[in-house]
Amino acid sequence: MIAQPLPPAIGPEFEARVEVDGSSRAVVVLFWGTSLLWLTVASLAGIISSIKLHSPDFLGGIEWLTFGRIRAVHWDTAIYGFGGLAASGTLLWLQARLCQVRLPYRNLLLVGGVVFNIGILLGVIGILMGQSTGVETLEFPLWAMPLLVVPYVFIVIANFTMYFKKVTKHTYVSQWYLMAVTVWFPILVLSAEACTNLGAVDGVAQAIANWWYGHNVVGLFATPTGIAAAYYLIPKVIGKPIHSYHLSLLGFWSNAIFYNWAGTHHLTGGPLPAWTITLGVVGSLMMFIPVITIGINHHMTMLGSFHLLKTSPTLRFAVMGSMVYTLSSFQGSLEALRSHQEVTHFTHYTIGHVHFGMYGFFAPLMFAMMYYGMPRLMDQEWSSARLIRIHFWCTLVGMLIYVFAMCYAGIRQGLMMNDPAVPFLNIVRFTIPYLGLRTLGGVILLSGTIAFLINFIRIITPHKYTWATPTLLDSERDWRKVVAKEKEQ
Amino acid sequence: MFIWSFALISGITMVWLLAWAIRRGEFQNMREGARMIFDDQEPAGLVTDHFPGEPR
Repeated sequence: MIAQPLPPAIGPEFEARVEVDGSSRAVVVLFWGTSLLWLTVASLAGIISSIKLHSPDFLGGIEWLTFGRIRAVHWDTAIYGFGGLAASGTLLWLQARLCQVRLPYRNLLLVGGVVFNIGILLGVIGILMGQSTGVETLEFPLWAMPLLVVPYVFIVIANFTMYFKKVTKHTYVSQWYLMAVTVWFPILVLSAEACTNLGAVDGVAQAIANWWYGHNVVGLFATPTGIAAAYYLIPKVIGKPIHSYHLSLLGFWSNAIFYNWAGTHHLTGGPLPAWTITLGVVGSLMMFIPVITIGINHHMTMLGSFHLLKTSPTLRFAVMGSMVYTLSSFQGSLEALRSHQEVTHFTHYTIGHVHFGMYGFFAPLMFAMMYYGMPRLMDQEWSSARLIRIHFWCTLVGMLIYVFAMCYAGIRQGLMMNDPAVPFLNIVRFTIPYLGLRTLGGVILLSGTIAFLINFIRIITPHKYTWATPTLLDSERDWRKVVAKEKEQ
Repeated sequence: MFIWSFALISGITMVWLLAWAIRRGEFQNMREGARMIFDDQEPAGLVTDHFPGEPR
């Protein structure tokens, strides 16, 4: 491993791209780097929660690590700490690249990134001290929320500033998703906080607002960012435009129209008007339209290029994320059906589905974004191909073990719960080995995250661990060959 | 009332945005749109990622 300086810049477009990447470097590295730290915290908290389910005495004497607190820390650090920061870093970098403009308000965004992290830290401390609001996905104490909302306003402003200053004529499909996220997410958070923790509505209306938010924070925040990343990375890495650009736009607009209605399927069987549940079920089934369009598009774009999965780390994670998007979305739509929920509602199956989406679809696409973006932002290559492979296989194997254990155990658990002849304790005993498998899956996932974290720390450590032939510079060398060949012809 | 007004405003905004995008020609020249991620240095046909330090 020998450090090598960059070769001379080639052409104005290369220089423009380097300038755009340079302008976003500090902000994006801050967002991505801290997102990985929160993923580590989230994984540790998740493993502790998981162990407590099959070994209830584990850390049982420590008040601030009781299941109700540590489980909330796990989910909130995963969705806001990892998801919020990774998605925001992705949004800012992709938007700057696609608009071909420098990232504006760099210092404001840096301060915003720091404040956002402080907000999450304070929220975690609040939950551990017993000040959780008790509202699913909005457990952070109210006093911590402004520290998350205000920095996000900076991100929204930066996003729109870049869009309205863009040099490019067209709006790429990823940009549609990114613009939508910045509109939807603040509306979601503010409305849900108003309707739950601030008490604008009471009773079952609060539950509706809660699950409208709980479902949409995944579907209208994490999902669009993941799809935006896939629509950029897959064609960009394999050097082939999207199979059908028409389908990609149909996917975006149908996603925008239908996803919002799906949340109430979480309340099937609850004391709500039947039409609200039916609305959620219909919304969930309509999601087949965007999911099929996106699935077809990604698959057809990849057709003929699957061999590149052997050689491209970005593509491995991006394709894994895209394939799981289709599978987990199909699973989610079917899960909304009342007949399905008769068995799986209130079982581990739902937990399996959430992790299938978050760790099988969203997280791999954020990892893919980082694997592609970091060498270009830092002007140096990842230090270890072995660590990348460890990360990939740990993510895939850990996720599969987790999802299989939870979904299989959930179905069996649901069938047994529907049989009044089966004692409840027998059902609990049946699930214990699968809860153990879940812990194993979580430990494997955490091992992958640690491998990635080591590689990430190395790449932001200048001139220490650099390959002699950085990937992005290889691209430039290839470009020279293409130009030379064209000249010969 | 708050939720219904909010839903109505959001719905109208989305329809307005769709109309704005159509007027702006965002749904024309789809072929050009799909290729905007490529440029002279990273043209279509060029693979731009592989494992570090390994032959392609």
